[in-house]
Amino acid sequence: MRRLLLLVGKDLRRKVRAPVGLAVLLAFPLVFAGMLALVFGGSGENTPKVRLVVENRDTGFAASALGSAFTSKQMAEHFDVRTVAKGEGAAIIEAGEASALLILPEHFTQDVLDGKAVTLELVRNPAEGILPEVAEQLARILADVLDGGARVLRQPLNDLRPYLKDGVQGPTDASVIAISLAFKRTFEGAGGFVFPPAITLKGAFEEKKPEKDAGNTGSLIFLAVLPGVAVYALFLVADNGMRDVLAEGTLGTMRRQLAGPIGTGTLLVGKALYAGALALLALAVFSAVAAAFLRKVPSLPAYLLLSLALILAVVGCSALVYGLAGTERKGATFASAIYLVLGFLGGSFVDVGNLPPFMQAIARWTPFYWATSGYRTLLEKGGGLADVLPAIAVLSVLGVAFLVAGSFFLRKTIARGGATA
Amino acid sequence: MFQVQHLTKRFGEIRAVDGISFEVRRGELYGLLGPNGAGKTTTMSMLSGLLAPDEGRILFDGVDLAAKPLEVKARLGIVPQEPALYASLSARENLKFWGGLYGLAGAALDKAVDRVLEETGLAGRAKEPVKNFSGGMKRRLNLGIGLVHRPQAVLMDEPTVGIDVQARLNILQVVRDVAAAGTTVLYTTHYLEEVETLCDRIAIMDHGKILAEGTLQELKRQVGGKDVLTVTGTFDAEAARQAGAIDGAQVVSAESGRLLLSVEGGRGTVEALTAILASKLQAEGITIQPPSLSTLFLNLTGRELRD
Repeated sequence: MRRLLLLVGKDLRRKVRAPVGLAVLLAFPLVFAGMLALVFGGSGENTPKVRLVVENRDTGFAASALGSAFTSKQMAEHFDVRTVAKGEGAAIIEAGEASALLILPEHFTQDVLDGKAVTLELVRNPAEGILPEVAEQLARILADVLDGGARVLRQPLNDLRPYLKDGVQGPTDASVIAISLAFKRTFEGAGGFVFPPAITLKGAFEEKKPEKDAGNTGSLIFLAVLPGVAVYALFLVADNGMRDVLAEGTLGTMRRQLAGPIGTGTLLVGKALYAGALALLALAVFSAVAAAFLRKVPSLPAYLLLSLALILAVVGCSALVYGLAGTERKGATFASAIYLVLGFLGGSFVDVGNLPPFMQAIARWTPFYWATSGYRTLLEKGGGLADVLPAIAVLSVLGVAFLVAGSFFLRKTIARGGATA
Repeated sequence: MFQVQHLTKRFGEIRAVDGISFEVRRGELYGLLGPNGAGKTTTMSMLSGLLAPDEGRILFDGVDLAAKPLEVKARLGIVPQEPALYASLSARENLKFWGGLYGLAGAALDKAVDRVLEETGLAGRAKEPVKNFSGGMKRRLNLGIGLVHRPQAVLMDEPTVGIDVQARLNILQVVRDVAAAGTTVLYTTHYLEEVETLCDRIAIMDHGKILAEGTLQELKRQVGGKDVLTVTGTFDAEAARQAGAIDGAQVVSAESGRLLLSVEGGRGTVEALTAILASKLQAEGITIQPPSLSTLFLNLTGRELRD
């Protein structure tokens, strides 16, 4: 035990004296996740508004209602709407002064009241990518809402039609009461299927609205991205540790140690502990940073057990890679390629759900998948120990299997002089 | 201290060490002399337990190295040919690590580290990272690491290769001091003058075999009073062989442009010179080497030690 502590202490001291490589590996996931959070997680103040030109060729109430929908208080945060007269919209789009042009056709209100098919025309600014798309999607939603409303309120609207014509005398009090009651009953009856979509539309903006502090969306993105890249970085950190078995072969110090009163097994255990200590340090740094952004503390036993299982897996994986590679250079090359592919498959960079089905099937065979999904279960979904037990079990089994196989191959490498050249 | 019996190591078809046997006595400074590729380092690797011999066995103080490797290794010190150090650590940290690995701890370890730093002349630079050291300083630390735990025997594999004269003299003095303190030293080198000045007994090795063994005086007696004549010029091997067929001379090697003759010293040397000059051989240069380890090596192998 004393010799193991001596070996690990010596390696950690060496790492402290030459910390740049480890520091880069520790910074990588934090910088990566941080950059994504900054790019995609702005507060909304920095998000450019959709500049929408509404060319209203109709004077009816339906066109006015649709046009005013864009100027409501909630929409105004995201849309900069300018209403223009017939024929003026195209010039504005051509001048690049708007993201999209929405044309409300003549007789729009009348056609809606008559139940005829109505076509809204949306002209996108080809010079812009995302903002015209936003305008189009919203226009579609509003058109759907309007269409649904027209169908549901068909009867009360028909009752109202005679009074909408010019020169017609206004309705009597009894007519007003009757039409109002018809609207009320229709709304109440159709409420179950009319209102949810409308509320959803409204809610889509209200969900973002409460995040008053600028960093919250960014925090969510940071926490969503960090587990995947942190798991990937952890594999690289452990690789940095296990690689030392072969690096010491080049230094000649492996040979010197083996000429001393110490067995190959003790040396390999020492290196595995060293790699594990580096991984633990990295995990502690990642966890501390993540904790600053967490809203809810995850289950601590689950987090610790998952982390220990992951450390076992990353050390085992590195041992196997270097055991099979036989030389430091080959091992480093293999490790980079293997971890990148497995990291991609396992969800370190993209959500596994977005991968083709056959890749999703392969993903389950990678430790990256189990580690990343385990941390996401804990951090994003608030899962507990029971939820991550499969991940802990798989990572532990893989870790032990890889470590045993890796030690076997490393012993062979050392025996034939590969690490003692 | 060491009993080496019929030691053999093969690498594929090559017999790097070919059935050698020798004994190193307690407190002795024993030299293995031979050119590069003679099998010295392979022998050292087997003696230090890093390589398993294909045949033969090694006994250290009566203990079979193959049977109890850790027990034997704990009593040995190793000084590898290339400095094996941790460059980012200081000299003191290096010594403390290696001393600790051999079981030293606490005050005993600190005392041993201080002693070695003094012996190697590195006390003033003890806290500096080794990466700042010169080649000679690294060699001295490399030597010190092999001595920090006061081993019963030290295996030194060409510890003076590639360093300046001053550093070399310093290392040789440390080796003498270690031997004088009673530690058994097995020292390999291809420098003749080192074994001549350092070693109590010497084994001359080439192509994996021990060609001769004994004290310096015993080995010189093997050469007798013979000089070695080296004749160079523009001639083919056959002409050289014919010219060398002189009474009292022995052709050591005859090749194109170079003839080596072993001749009785004094009058024999003069007669051989006269005969060569009178021959058809167009000699352009003749060198006379008096009896030495070098001429013994030439006599035994037909080539010079530096070849």
